[in-house]
Amino acid sequence: MFLKKSIIALTGLFLCLFLIVHLSANCILLLPETIARDLYNSYSTTLRESTIIKVIAYVLYLSIILHVFYALLITLKNRKAKPQKYVINKSNENSSWTSQNMGLIGVIILLFIIVHLANFWARIKLGIGEEVGLDAMGNKDVYEVTHTLFQNIYFVIFYTLISIPLALHLHHGLKSAFKTLGFYHKKGLTILAKIALFYAIVMGFGFGIIPFIVYFK
Amino acid sequence: MKVTFKIWRQEGPKDKGEIKTYEVDGLTEDMSFLEALDHLNELLVLKNENVIAFEYDCREGICGQCGVFINGRAHGPHDNITTCQLHMRSFNDGDTIVVEPWLAASFPVIKDLIVDRSAFDRIIEQGAFISAKTGTAAEANAILIGREVADKAMDVAACIGCGACVATCKNASASLFTAAKINHLNSLPQGKPEASKRVLEMTKQMELEGFGSCTFTGACEVECPEGISIINIAEMNARRSKAKWLS
Repeated sequence: MFLKKSIIALTGLFLCLFLIVHLSANCILLLPETIARDLYNSYSTTLRESTIIKVIAYVLYLSIILHVFYALLITLKNRKAKPQKYVINKSNENSSWTSQNMGLIGVIILLFIIVHLANFWARIKLGIGEEVGLDAMGNKDVYEVTHTLFQNIYFVIFYTLISIPLALHLHHGLKSAFKTLGFYHKKGLTILAKIALFYAIVMGFGFGIIPFIVYFK
Repeated sequence: MKVTFKIWRQEGPKDKGEIKTYEVDGLTEDMSFLEALDHLNELLVLKNENVIAFEYDCREGICGQCGVFINGRAHGPHDNITTCQLHMRSFNDGDTIVVEPWLAASFPVIKDLIVDRSAFDRIIEQGAFISAKTGTAAEANAILIGREVADKAMDVAACIGCGACVATCKNASASLFTAAKINHLNSLPQGKPEASKRVLEMTKQMELEGFGSCTFTGACEVECPEGISIINIAEMNARRSKAKWLS
């Protein structure tokens, strides 16, 4: 139980770090198209060709798989520990909705990740589906893939709405991961709670707004 | 004052339980919640019906026996109290009050509102004590303890083992209880010699008893009559990791 929880916490924290890098790179999409296309494509080419990034990418895949796998195991065990539900349970009076529903929110995010990987990763890295063209510099035109996807208003709305459960999951996850790993400094935890809120808002707002900006660009 | 009680009735551990409705008149706002249940039981006796089984002992908030789930909250609508500290003035005339036993696989129902909390005793048996020679009491000031450490130990020693933390937790986790018992002794010099063994054995027993894991919803610290903070669970995790990997 403790080891499983620690793995969920560690992989979760790694994914939190990854999201910072991911959002930073996505900010390139906010630049004027002439600069953004070259920069975004050369950035993604650099990532694909770097050995270190390749290793990190495998750590990333593994993190997602372990995070989901152990969360599922723990959830099943927890259900066994509490098989019966109260006729009335006012859990909203003693805890946040998010903290009570991390599993549900996690499943929504997982479904998004599958769609997201199908939209980008499968096409660019695996070459599944429509072939990705090259830009003027000979790099895979990832910018075009992004741009085309976000011309579809349904995808824009989907990506934007997903940022809400993402922010909620990150807010509770970041706070509790540290506690699971044994960080118990009282003042530190107060600061951590503020950092987690700030981080969740930045991530949610950032990932949520970019598809809209690309759509209207 | 008149209220409608909807109370979980269950004949025995293996029987199927159900919610039964009782209209109770003649209550006053000054009555404690347990006195209201006593009043209802007296009415049931007069009608030759089976009384509602519920636990209590001290009725002054220190024994931890009287835990029940009232209207969706452990120990009723207020934060950080026991059931016996709840009074009927917290309800309105004509209210419906739903009373259920603690629900957790590790706390099987014995009868009606009484559950078997001996899983807590078995966790305690694994190390919530110090091995010391008994006999003549030692000089109290022989071991000096700083005020901060003493206060911190006292905050968790206050745990009365009522089980509200388990009852309110969506995972039926006993982490707050176990953390309180571990941190109490492990933070004091008297507890140091057995500190590693204590944290490892007690957390192991907690798992063996089938309690769920802690997700830090924070519900337990709101329902805990002693207001024991969930930071203690983080501290237990740290103590456990240290004992497991560093000693």
